[in-house]
Amino acid sequence: MGVRNVSIGEEIRIALPKGRLEADARALFVAAGLMAENGPASRVLLWPGQEPGVAFLLAKPADVPVYVEHGVADLGVVGLDVLREGQYDVYEPMLLPFGHCRLSVAVPKDKVNTYHSLRLHPNPRVATKYPNLARAFFHARGVSPEIIPLSGSVELGPLVGLADVIVDLVQTGRTLRENGLVEVRVILHSQAVLIANRASYRLKEARVKAILERLQRAVK
Amino acid sequence: MSDWRRQTVSNHRPPGRPLPHGVIDRFWQEAAALREAESVLREVYRRWGYTEYIPPTFEYAETLSTGTGAPLQEQMYRFFDRDGKVLALRPDMTIPTARLVGSKLFDQPFPQRYFYTGPVFRYQEPVAGMPREFYQAGVELLGAADPEADAEVLALAVASLQTLGLARFRLVLGQMAFFRGLLESLQLDPADAAVLHSALDRKSAPELQELVSRWGLRGRLREALLTLPQLHGTQGVLAAATKVALNDTMRSALENLRAVERVAALYGIKEMITLDLAEVRGMEYYTGITFEGFVPGLGVAVLSGGRYDHLVGAFGRPQPAVGFAITLDRVLRAWEAQGTQPVVWSPQVVVGGELTRKTLTEVRRLREAGVRVVCYYEAEQAEVVRSYAMAWHIPGVVWCDREAVLAWWEGHARALPSEAWADEVMGWVCGTSR
Repeated sequence: MGVRNVSIGEEIRIALPKGRLEADARALFVAAGLMAENGPASRVLLWPGQEPGVAFLLAKPADVPVYVEHGVADLGVVGLDVLREGQYDVYEPMLLPFGHCRLSVAVPKDKVNTYHSLRLHPNPRVATKYPNLARAFFHARGVSPEIIPLSGSVELGPLVGLADVIVDLVQTGRTLRENGLVEVRVILHSQAVLIANRASYRLKEARVKAILERLQRAVK
Repeated sequence: MSDWRRQTVSNHRPPGRPLPHGVIDRFWQEAAALREAESVLREVYRRWGYTEYIPPTFEYAETLSTGTGAPLQEQMYRFFDRDGKVLALRPDMTIPTARLVGSKLFDQPFPQRYFYTGPVFRYQEPVAGMPREFYQAGVELLGAADPEADAEVLALAVASLQTLGLARFRLVLGQMAFFRGLLESLQLDPADAAVLHSALDRKSAPELQELVSRWGLRGRLREALLTLPQLHGTQGVLAAATKVALNDTMRSALENLRAVERVAALYGIKEMITLDLAEVRGMEYYTGITFEGFVPGLGVAVLSGGRYDHLVGAFGRPQPAVGFAITLDRVLRAWEAQGTQPVVWSPQVVVGGELTRKTLTEVRRLREAGVRVVCYYEAEQAEVVRSYAMAWHIPGVVWCDREAVLAWWEGHARALPSEAWADEVMGWVCGTSR
């Protein structure tokens, strides 16, 4: 029951993602004057912000939109890749200028020609951390993929014969190259985005607006 | 001492019987609170002159699909009648009401006002107090197109949330026609319109920016689209919106909102309303104002409604209509989050010992006075009844045997006369709330 601990008062709780986006997200809120420069150790999961009435919590990236949807966090920072993979009923009022990457289809180097037309493969085995986005992408092209959901080291899939292709995040492309994979399609251009709970957006309108404006200035 | 717990809890545990995903048992506090919310709302709706409509739980799927979009249709539970016709469980109450009025009550005087309470069924991922079978209590006002009718329904929404004891709520008011007008000017095909709808629904700055550049929008069109997500708040929204309005549809939507606001001010509810012109949430059949109610402590809307002027006509003679529904399951969550005093659901008095005619007469007198009384059978000692009472949070215990009448209230021994003790017990019950 996620709604039990919703802050009833005017406190604004902001959920930040651990991992890839964490450093940039922290830097943004420090720049906006909302978070102390020397934040707490990374094991602290909930701590007060630089000014009264603001608090931060640290969560796994995929959990950030869950916290925000249920209103236990009013705002959150998350990658578009995570946001689009799930179905979350949240507002996404602001793009943030970091975390740029793309969600792509990649195939083994020696099969690039075979996979030139994805639709010629009736039932490709697709290893991915993004089963929903991957399925939607192939379905839209009339292809029924066999989705193999993995939670890490997706690049290994084709190497060990588990999958024909992968759908994964690509930043520089180095990991792909090192594993003999070639990017053949981009499913989604991703970057960080600020999300907001629908109720908080109304009930704490003035505070949310003020924070959005400060972030906007910090981004510029 | 024999303890009821030792009698009933043993090593034998019955095998679990699973429930379908998203289907819940409501009992104890949950059941009492749900009925409490329902009866509070029923009373408010009656006072505003709305009369009850009890729609069928299921009817033809085709009927229930009328005027709705793909999302609601995909969420319907469908099954076959014996004759092969496709039936469905009602996914909302507005469609049956529109059918009733459009096809049966069309020649009766208008306006007509109906309220309803009961479960609706949607095949959806259960989220935040919205299981697959959830309870609604709502109203529909049919046959009045005036802003006054819109304002009446908004005022009734406010009265409902207030009577439920929900503090510091807000109503977010939008106007579907404003968005429709924007679509007219953009001349999008249905697929693109759906993309825009979804982006606006999430106030997605990233997607709107992308759409503007993908469709090559310039000048006033571009400005209107990019300004839209900012058109919300309590001050100056209509003035800002007037500047970006592209056509008469958009302008008359704003004119309607202005009129609704004027009447809302007369009802004294204007300060509870936030305008949001980018609010496109809600049923496919909405044509005019739309609104949602938010309460602190709940991350989702507890109430939603709007104007649907074309739905009744799909079933017969057209009538303008406006209404809303409150999700009772979410009211319960909001009560809990706001720390509202829980609804008392257990009996108030348990009577044990020897059940003589005299004892049962006293029990009857208590019940006639509205006290919730249970009898405990087969107990050898008062202690057994007392521990049963404690387990079920029953404040009053009366033990009658041949020699004396013993009594406890909230664990403390109290003196009782051996005759006509019901009066005394009534006094204890009345001394506490409920």
